[in-house]
Amino acid sequence: MKSNDYQRHEHHAFLDASALALSDNGLQQILGRLGDTLGARNRAAFGEFTESDLTRERARAVKDDTLAHLDEHLATLADNFERLGGHVHFCSDGDEARQAILGILAKHGARRVVKSKSMTTEEIHLNEALAQASVEAVETDFGEYIIQVAGHRPSHIVGPALHLSAADVAEVLSPVAGRPLSSDRTELAAFAREKLRQEFARADAGITGVNFAVAETGTLVIVSNEGNARLTTALPPLHIAIMGMEKVIPRLADVPVFLKVLARAATGQKLSVYTSLITGPAREGELDGPRESHLVILDNGRSRILGGPLRESLFCIRCGACLNACPIYRSVGGHSYGGVYAGPIGAVLTPLYDGLAANKHLPHASSLCGACQAACPVKIAIPEMLVKLREQLHEQPGELGRVEAWAYKAWARLMRSPRLFNLATWLSTRLLGRFVPNGWLRRLPGGLRGWTDTRDFPAPAPERFRDWWRREGQA
Amino acid sequence: MKREAFFERVRQAARAGQAHRAHVRTGLPDSVGYVGGGADLCCRLAEEVVGVGGTAVVVESLEAARVALAELLDNLQPTSALCWRHPLLEQLELTELLAAHNVEPFDFERLAGLEASARRRAILAAGIGITSVAAAIAETGTLVMAAEPGRERVASLLPPVHVAIVAESQILPDLFDLFASLDHANSSVGRVKQRADAPTVETSVAGVSSASLRWPLARDADRGDQRTELPSNLVLITGPSKTGDIELQLTTGVHGPGKVLVLVIRGR
Repeated sequence: MKSNDYQRHEHHAFLDASALALSDNGLQQILGRLGDTLGARNRAAFGEFTESDLTRERARAVKDDTLAHLDEHLATLADNFERLGGHVHFCSDGDEARQAILGILAKHGARRVVKSKSMTTEEIHLNEALAQASVEAVETDFGEYIIQVAGHRPSHIVGPALHLSAADVAEVLSPVAGRPLSSDRTELAAFAREKLRQEFARADAGITGVNFAVAETGTLVIVSNEGNARLTTALPPLHIAIMGMEKVIPRLADVPVFLKVLARAATGQKLSVYTSLITGPAREGELDGPRESHLVILDNGRSRILGGPLRESLFCIRCGACLNACPIYRSVGGHSYGGVYAGPIGAVLTPLYDGLAANKHLPHASSLCGACQAACPVKIAIPEMLVKLREQLHEQPGELGRVEAWAYKAWARLMRSPRLFNLATWLSTRLLGRFVPNGWLRRLPGGLRGWTDTRDFPAPAPERFRDWWRREGQA
Repeated sequence: MKREAFFERVRQAARAGQAHRAHVRTGLPDSVGYVGGGADLCCRLAEEVVGVGGTAVVVESLEAARVALAELLDNLQPTSALCWRHPLLEQLELTELLAAHNVEPFDFERLAGLEASARRRAILAAGIGITSVAAAIAETGTLVMAAEPGRERVASLLPPVHVAIVAESQILPDLFDLFASLDHANSSVGRVKQRADAPTVETSVAGVSSASLRWPLARDADRGDQRTELPSNLVLITGPSKTGDIELQLTTGVHGPGKVLVLVIRGR
């Protein structure tokens, strides 16, 4: 199997990791199929949905309105969750959240935990903290289980093991099985089902994420296709849910709108296979379900984002549609982005959560083509936010070299003056456009060489459009 | 104290964020995205269940449903079954049917009588789960399960095969109708308005309350309290368990039932 260590835990600079990913033939084959599978299913599902655009607008409006009064909705959610007999923990950062969860587990003496896929637990690096506290935590989403055994980071929001072929998966799981597994998908899934059933049956606690939390009823909405989220909340006696604080929605009546757009955007389904609405712990007389429920509500930098110009990034419902649509993601794969969240939304979220300076390549890892915004179920203006991040980046002292800073200034000056722009385009067509054979420059000089190291540069046309138009267009 | 500090920070951020509100379309009605289930909800439900990888049969009477279920048990020959306690299953005389096919039934009484580890063994070993539904949604082929004593979560989850018996009166046209009925029971929020193009069959939006009255989705949590609570667990099931985690190819039955069979009884 591939030994590319960009798949593992450590953070890699975008340029190095993407160069590795681009030279990985197996990964390129898998990524090449993404647009025709998940991407196409997403487009078809929205195409068949008559009011798809209005529904997305509605979901968007609910998010915007909710965030405007987020404190009130969180208070309502906490009141209702506690009224039902649950416990709520408000945590400012990852450390507080980890401590809260470890505290609950310690109080119950819980040593074995089953986990249902949660990006938020990835965000706070919960698994490492559990391991340090000698709590055995098993991921139960099939994809998450595979990468947990392999020691990889998730490469896609909804398909965390997307970067592995069936043969890779067989190689990863065979040592666990104690026998060679074939690369037949059904056999691999059957092995995981059997193995994870044992884990579910003996687990002391279940940890899940939350897709939506309904304030007015204290209900947690958890969506899965495999059923592992249901098992995690049906068999263990203790349920701990963790959510980013932006996941709250005010009313039960808002839920169907989000379910309809989430399933279509994520996997092209009208509705995901399982949608659980969990309202408090199991009631008296019920034979299954958790007897105790905890809800961890996490800030971890979200309030900083909420009060700033990139507030809209908090609309994200973690469907992965922007990844499938993005020509950059489909070239470099999820691990190149370094953070927990990959793709276009990751290029926004990772600099916001982990720092802009340390992730300065991410806002530039986009052609700003707009495919992400078009695919987004809540129409997040991702390209606009990437441009804002680029601006912020360039305002930081020392971020740009003197020559580059001068070049941007000159460019800005040029673009603001019609006369200068006119002169510059005239010069470029006359000086470059007419002397370059076949329209491509093989090598640029000096500091611009980086561009032509891996591709040719399109030369200016021999004639400007405005000249052509003056000559031909008016006929 | 910690909580107050948390709220104060969020309050200030939410206020500061008012300057960065997104461009959104306001004033869209709650019913945006309503699709509906067409004129024949039984057929639509069955078609959609098949569309998501399940099996569905529409029968015209209880007697026909009993025959279909007997055939199913003949084919699958499970040794034990997890069963709901439900009026529809009683009308079907499920207990007698299972006895006639030598299937050991684990219903509420039986499970409640077992000690914890024996109960766990029994639920994990069951070959089939037989339930009715709290409601079904025609447009998406969805079965809605509401937990309560006698209607266990695990019956539709642990066995490799899940059989759901659905009466016509339990079928709602659209996901929106389900949430409207929950809201109605919860009685705090407005309901989806009847749409001009929605079919005027008995079970469409106006008829939601009939389904929810018959098998209430929300129950009184506390007799002294006017509020009604949602069930502790309400799950919407749309087809058999699926994963696309290996090479984006569909694989069924990874955690939940790999087979979902729906028997729709018309006229009940």
